[in-house]
Amino acid sequence: MREAVLTWCVPLELLCSHPLPVSAFLKTQVKLHTYRACAGKDEMGKMVSVINTVDTSHEDMIHDAQMDYYGTRLATCSSDRSVKIFDVRNGGQILIADLRGHEGPVWQVAWAHPMYGNILASCSYDRKVIIWREENGTWEKSHEHAGHDSSVNSVCWAPHDYGLILACGSSDGAISLLTYTGEGQWEVKKINNAHTIGCNAVSWAPAVVPGSLIDQPSGQKPNYIKKFASGGCDNLIKLWKEEEDGQWKEEQKLEAHSDWVRDVAWAPSIGLPTSTIASCSQDGRVFIWTCDDASGNTWSPKLLHKFNDVVWHVSWSITANILAVSGGDNKVTLWKESVDGQWVCISDVNKGQGSVSASVTEGQQNEQ
Amino acid sequence: MEKMSRVTTALGGGVLTGRTMHCHLDAPANAISVCRDAAQVVVAGRSIFKIYAIEEEQFVEKLNLRVGRKPSLNLSCADVVWHQMDENLLATAATNGVVVTWNLGRPSRNKQDQLFTEHKRTVNKVCFHPTEAHVLLSGSQDGFMKCFDLRRKDSVSTFSGQSESVRDVQFSIRDYFTFASTFENGNVQLWDIRRPDRCERMFTAHNGPVFCCDWHPEDRGWLATGGRDKMVKVWDMTTHRAKEMHCVQTIASVARVKWRPECRHHLATCSMMVDHNIYVWDVRRPFVPAAMFEEHRDVTTGIAWRHPHDPSFLLSGSKDSSLCQHLFRDASQPVERANPEGLCYGLFGDLAFAAKESLVAAESGRKPYTGDRRHPIFFKRKLDPAEPFAGLASSALSVFETEPGGGAMRWFVDTAERYALAGRPLAELCDHNAKVARELGRDQVAQTWTMLRTIYCSPGLLPTANLSHSMGKGGSCGLQLMNSFNLKDMAPGLGSETRLDRSKGDARSDTVLLDSSATLITNEDNEETEGSDVPADYLLGDVEGEDDELYLLDPEHTHPEEPECVLPQEAFPLRHEIVDTPPGPEHLQDKADSPHVSGSEADVASLAPVDSSFSLLSVSHALYDSRLPPDFFSMLVRDMLHFYAEQGDVQMAVSVLIVLGERVRKDIDEQTQEHWYTSYIDLLQRFRLWNVSNEVVKLSTSRAVSCLNQASTTLHVNCSHCKRPMSSRGWVCDRCHRCASMCAVCHHVVKGLFVWCQGCSHGGHLQHIMKWLEGSSHCPAGCGHLCEYS
Repeated sequence: MREAVLTWCVPLELLCSHPLPVSAFLKTQVKLHTYRACAGKDEMGKMVSVINTVDTSHEDMIHDAQMDYYGTRLATCSSDRSVKIFDVRNGGQILIADLRGHEGPVWQVAWAHPMYGNILASCSYDRKVIIWREENGTWEKSHEHAGHDSSVNSVCWAPHDYGLILACGSSDGAISLLTYTGEGQWEVKKINNAHTIGCNAVSWAPAVVPGSLIDQPSGQKPNYIKKFASGGCDNLIKLWKEEEDGQWKEEQKLEAHSDWVRDVAWAPSIGLPTSTIASCSQDGRVFIWTCDDASGNTWSPKLLHKFNDVVWHVSWSITANILAVSGGDNKVTLWKESVDGQWVCISDVNKGQGSVSASVTEGQQNEQ
Repeated sequence: MEKMSRVTTALGGGVLTGRTMHCHLDAPANAISVCRDAAQVVVAGRSIFKIYAIEEEQFVEKLNLRVGRKPSLNLSCADVVWHQMDENLLATAATNGVVVTWNLGRPSRNKQDQLFTEHKRTVNKVCFHPTEAHVLLSGSQDGFMKCFDLRRKDSVSTFSGQSESVRDVQFSIRDYFTFASTFENGNVQLWDIRRPDRCERMFTAHNGPVFCCDWHPEDRGWLATGGRDKMVKVWDMTTHRAKEMHCVQTIASVARVKWRPECRHHLATCSMMVDHNIYVWDVRRPFVPAAMFEEHRDVTTGIAWRHPHDPSFLLSGSKDSSLCQHLFRDASQPVERANPEGLCYGLFGDLAFAAKESLVAAESGRKPYTGDRRHPIFFKRKLDPAEPFAGLASSALSVFETEPGGGAMRWFVDTAERYALAGRPLAELCDHNAKVARELGRDQVAQTWTMLRTIYCSPGLLPTANLSHSMGKGGSCGLQLMNSFNLKDMAPGLGSETRLDRSKGDARSDTVLLDSSATLITNEDNEETEGSDVPADYLLGDVEGEDDELYLLDPEHTHPEEPECVLPQEAFPLRHEIVDTPPGPEHLQDKADSPHVSGSEADVASLAPVDSSFSLLSVSHALYDSRLPPDFFSMLVRDMLHFYAEQGDVQMAVSVLIVLGERVRKDIDEQTQEHWYTSYIDLLQRFRLWNVSNEVVKLSTSRAVSCLNQASTTLHVNCSHCKRPMSSRGWVCDRCHRCASMCAVCHHVVKGLFVWCQGCSHGGHLQHIMKWLEGSSHCPAGCGHLCEYS
């Protein structure tokens, strides 16, 4: 009798195409689902429409909502001390986890790159940063960092190329950097007095390698220059750079805002290696900072717009060509750089594009 | 009394004035209490007992009650209370168990009035009856509460809590005879002052000691309790069973709790450990303090609202030896500092946006909405629907969709999946990709592809054949069609596309390129000269820089016509003819690639502009013939790639790089290419397009990129001879010292694809084994196994 015979000649590359575990590969055939309930313009010609309203059942104000790397899960955090994770595929909203552990309002959450597993960091008014990890379908606290003397306002994971590194900005003016060193251990570096009165936001620069990748001896980690931006109550945006000896040093001080800087967002580096940072402030202004030269020393600000209210958040689209801005008037506006280098609101009623800013009021009206 | 009169004036003035201020005490304070005139405060501690006058700008020490040479333990105060009816009367609780009353009206320096030494251990709390002048209550560590009548020398009655230490005692404001006491075991007891035998009611309020309690100043039977479990609970004592109304979670154990005057839902707390701040909470918003006072450097031990009807002045004493007056106005308000909005740009260009609802509610009434069922219901949650008010917050979280122009990424996924990057002739790839792009509504990209095709794929002899063919066929019917497609808003793109279809083939010459530019020129002229039926933006809408360059080329080359000049004229109709009527067989395959053609037919248009454009077209066509090599355009292509990359469409940049391969690679900085590749691969992986990402990696010409595939995957290999895992890196087994992967057919080491039989574990080069097994079913190694290749 003939035995079952094997032919095993799957091209290796197919399996190794991704740093994720092989199991991820198995999902490749599964069709991607989007969760938009309505596509195309409605009769009003809106550019933006509500496609999903998430019943978060948070008992207090929500301070942050972040989608994960694949855009399938949404993490929210609230004043009610909880962090919730929802599965938002197919327009659905299934509560996956309700994470309790903070003793104060939770200000911000951040997803780590999936190559490290499902990891979420949250920071709170209770001075703590908690790193949550999903193991076998259940979310648990994996690490708690209590190294700050005041409310921790912002957390941001470094690009995955650097390993698991988390930057935390606190009201005590310090920024701490947690680096995973394996086996549940985290190494802490702290930049004291980074911003007087407090740091409100941190955002990492995308991983860019000085010189060509080719020069790197294979097998060795490329020599990345790690950088991040922070915004604080001293109205400044500061750029930090890791020195050769592993110490963090202030590289640049960007001055343009006249009040607390509320958010900074370093644009993902898609396309050209020019660096771009968006910042918004209590003073209602949003600036776009660009740096063209390779040394990274000259940054020029360009005023995107002056809003009438506090601007809370700026967020780049994945290809870094559209900036979403949310302000105190509860409106989200989308901005795009035109060919001549001016930033234009691509979702502005007055521009004849139809209505658009994704204001929550619209959603509200839908209910009526 | 003159003192009295002064007090009345102060109250009669109605307004308290002052500022946030503090003064240094000589020693840490344990408790403070305010005189009913709201102008004096007494501070008591282990080694301090002083009265300060609260002036507008500062505290002024008024009286030191700690007199006598040797400090008595009786003066070591754990608590102090100022009588709310008689401002000459104070009581202190000493750490040695003595309760002392003080009469400020005494003429002597020593104001000590009475001394009750009945408790055996520290007295934690003393409390005057709110309306009865002579009744004083004490609670001690020894577990007893005693009620004193100040007119008598000893206690009137003793209440035994039947449990551990009493931490707080408070007369009810609502019931004359009732007082509440809290215990270290977590219980709260309610007593009738007339019945010392047993308590009226007892319930467990906290997990762990209950350090403090406070009756709501307005007559509503609410009792707030604070415990070591870091919680403040508000109980409704009017019901038969104490009912928990609210629960506030603080950061540290709660040492003191005081209702804020005139603010029904506010209370102030301080902690005895860890946390130095004083918080004012809105009990309905139990997570974020409404206000926070951060002046103290050590734990706050005593808090008191300055005046029972003024909500803005808070006094506090602390272990850091200071006395503070806080103004509510100056408090830091974490709520205000809190970010009321969350914003996140999702992968697919959707936005998740969470916003505070009170803001929303304020605006919602303005525009009535006429109901669009497609929008899901907006979620709203109120904590207490029966009692809506402004201070409370909840947020609404919505996910918004942005349309393709706004950044939705559906096109990215579609494009990535459908693009063909290799495996076919360049021309076909370009055509295919152009088609894909056009179907996805990305006309500019589609046009770029067609242009690339015309630039790099030369038509050779084929076009000529086409032309002559069309000459034969070119008829009047063609004109109309040609026109219709001119009017399509994507005219430039279509123009070049036509050329493409016509010029299928791989032979090299530049005619097609020229044709393309000629077409563009046609269109432009069409607009400029005629202008009649052409939409104003039809040309400018999607044309990129390089198009302009092409136009510019035109004028310089205005030369005499050549005999062939008529041909292009037929070229256009030809294409449509093919679609319309059964075309010549040689065009059939080409048409299959461009379904949009049929779309353009639908448009009906006037004939007018056609003729003029035709003449121009023919001119330029003739001109360019075979003059410009593809290199001429490499700069333009390079600029174009940069343009796309800058636009965030790194997909286009990479796709073109791959498709054109060597043709453009040398013109673009290696590092930039690498950057594009890595960016694109990263994006693909985010969208879980592993296969596409893998293809890109494979096709990439950059070594750094192509080696990505070799990272992070472990392949466990066993030696085919001894079946031990191969630990060393090479293909030689450590144990049996033989090369593990010899090809059974050619007896050479196999590098690359190795196929082997699971049955006998022999194998070899894929090609060799395949070939072998075609002719034989036995294992090539001669082991006698019947292998099968499927």
